[in-house]
Amino acid sequence: MEIALQQIVNGLTIGAFYALIALGYTMVYGIIRLINFAHGDIYAVGAFVGFSTYGLLALLHVESPILTTLLALVVSMGLTGLLGTLVYRVAYRPLLHARLSILISAIGASLTLEYSLLLIYSPSFLVYPHLFGRAGPSFAGVSVSWLQILIFVSSIVLMAAIYFIVNRTKTGMAMRALAINQDAARLMGVNVSRVISFTFFLGSTLASFAGVLTGLYYSQISFLMGFLIGLKAFTAAVLGGIGNIPGAVVGGFMLGILESLAAGYYSSRWKDVVAFAVLILVLVVRPRGLLGERVVERM
Amino acid sequence: MRNVFAVATLLVFLITGMVPGVGAQGATIKIGVPVPLSGGNAKMGTDIVQAATMAADEQNAKGGVLGRKLEIVSFDDACDAQQAVTAAHKLVDAGVAAVAGGYCSSAAIPASAVYHDAGVAFVADASSNPKLTDQGFENVFRVIGRDDQQGPYAAGFMTKDLHAKKVAIIHDNTLYAKGLATATQDALKKMMGVQVVFFDAITPGEKDFSATLTKVKSLNPDVTYFTGYYPEGGLVCKQFKDLGVSGKLMAGDANNDPTFIKECGAASTGVYITSTPLPQDQGTAKAFISRYTGRWKQDPGPYSALEYDSVGVVINAMQRAKSADRAAIIKALQATSAYSGATGKITFDKKGDRVQVLYITYIIKGDKFVPTGM
Repeated sequence: MEIALQQIVNGLTIGAFYALIALGYTMVYGIIRLINFAHGDIYAVGAFVGFSTYGLLALLHVESPILTTLLALVVSMGLTGLLGTLVYRVAYRPLLHARLSILISAIGASLTLEYSLLLIYSPSFLVYPHLFGRAGPSFAGVSVSWLQILIFVSSIVLMAAIYFIVNRTKTGMAMRALAINQDAARLMGVNVSRVISFTFFLGSTLASFAGVLTGLYYSQISFLMGFLIGLKAFTAAVLGGIGNIPGAVVGGFMLGILESLAAGYYSSRWKDVVAFAVLILVLVVRPRGLLGERVVERM
Repeated sequence: MRNVFAVATLLVFLITGMVPGVGAQGATIKIGVPVPLSGGNAKMGTDIVQAATMAADEQNAKGGVLGRKLEIVSFDDACDAQQAVTAAHKLVDAGVAAVAGGYCSSAAIPASAVYHDAGVAFVADASSNPKLTDQGFENVFRVIGRDDQQGPYAAGFMTKDLHAKKVAIIHDNTLYAKGLATATQDALKKMMGVQVVFFDAITPGEKDFSATLTKVKSLNPDVTYFTGYYPEGGLVCKQFKDLGVSGKLMAGDANNDPTFIKECGAASTGVYITSTPLPQDQGTAKAFISRYTGRWKQDPGPYSALEYDSVGVVINAMQRAKSADRAAIIKALQATSAYSGATGKITFDKKGDRVQVLYITYIIKGDKFVPTGM
């Protein structure tokens, strides 16, 4: 029982990362039907910007771990959000109506970001400061660190905020309108380009939040860190129903827990096989994902 | 650190560009160095190229070999089988006289077939999977030990020095890691009263191994041996302590890097690493280290001295053969005997493996690798 609980805690932690990144995939897909391959690398950039911020603050002798972390998060989310918008403006906007070219452009953006990080920073691994120890409450033999609790709670709060923005604000309404019919939305006076930019901004801030927390929690970042987790987060978005915001969250946590349980009770060599077999099963039964709705085909 | 890669690449280009201007008699003799220069192991690749460049430059300062200058030609193999084969073809096409380098076994083994077909000697500096020399290629040599030598050594250390009864082994499914894990498991199985309670792999490139380690925790091992590479090793170390797994943590020679300690932080104290001795723990390497740090303004990596010797035995072979002909170099390399390099005496056996390889166990204390026992 103890082991099962610990595995679920492990799964929720990694699931929170998947969910935060999956949201970016799902929002962009929902609006312009693009699989943004560069999104995983946006997450990596977020981690690196956070790393630089920590370095800068250390030079300025700002030492309070809470203050530096808050600043690192804010700076990283702001800058990475802007970078996300920039990637959209440069690499995607000119190609919005060329479906194949935009996909290639996305792969290009991904490689550009990865290798810019390599050249600007380092080809090897960088190590975040060890700010938060592994102390934390322990109940029934399950060890949970405060950092894990912070990751879980803050990701839930952020996801709720996104849900609120999309469903309760005017910009959110414009985003939803775009998702249904771009031309109609434009005719109703929606500034299409600005709304899409904003979507990229939101998705990128979430990814960079995940990036900084990755650095703090796992302590290791590298220029290729976004590749594998980007793939997994994309999977989580599909599992939950791509284009659907609560779906991305459910998909992220579900994939995390599935992987943990597969590694814990079967074999970690087979965990991806088990997790993806479940994914295929889900998609066979519900082709649009767990929470995906029937969307009217475009064209 | 961040410019090391750029500087190394630039240097390779510079040297390539400069050599014709130097005006040596005849064309240069090219030595190929395939290493990962991109991807997670790029730092190791940079260390290796620096060592090779230094070996070649030192020889050139002495007048080169057979009156010709040496030139290091390096291509990125990205630790990837396909890219390694491409890099190998590029090196062969570039007209290298011999190849000395490589890092990941999973890249070196497929590449070795290309060198074999082209009749080019291949001296591996860091690839320790037994299969590399077990293929029966007469052109393949290595200056590092084999995993099936390190495995029994590690098994001996954990049972004799750490008195382990229950051992967990974690690898990462790459050729090197799996080979070392299997060799260790086989050696442990032959011992009385020792049980391998866990044998499984993690996925390289991932960051969260807590699910696997939670399972290990439930089995209460006396020793957990991680045989993968240091990027994951540091994470395994940190999460091992975070989850409070019982017993000691031990790791294979690919974790012998300061990044391991940085990633794991204070929790790394007391972790054991089996390895060939680091350059600083070998009397023969003292001069090499001071020249290396003088030239590159950084400490040599764990494989720098081995690469320096790989290039060294190739130079030595050319001098003995009095030829830079590919076939002549292979013949001369086979006869390499008691070459004294930075890592000690090098003699190749029939398979091309180095005879008498020394292993040592380090314990991490206060951010340093401290030797504990031979």
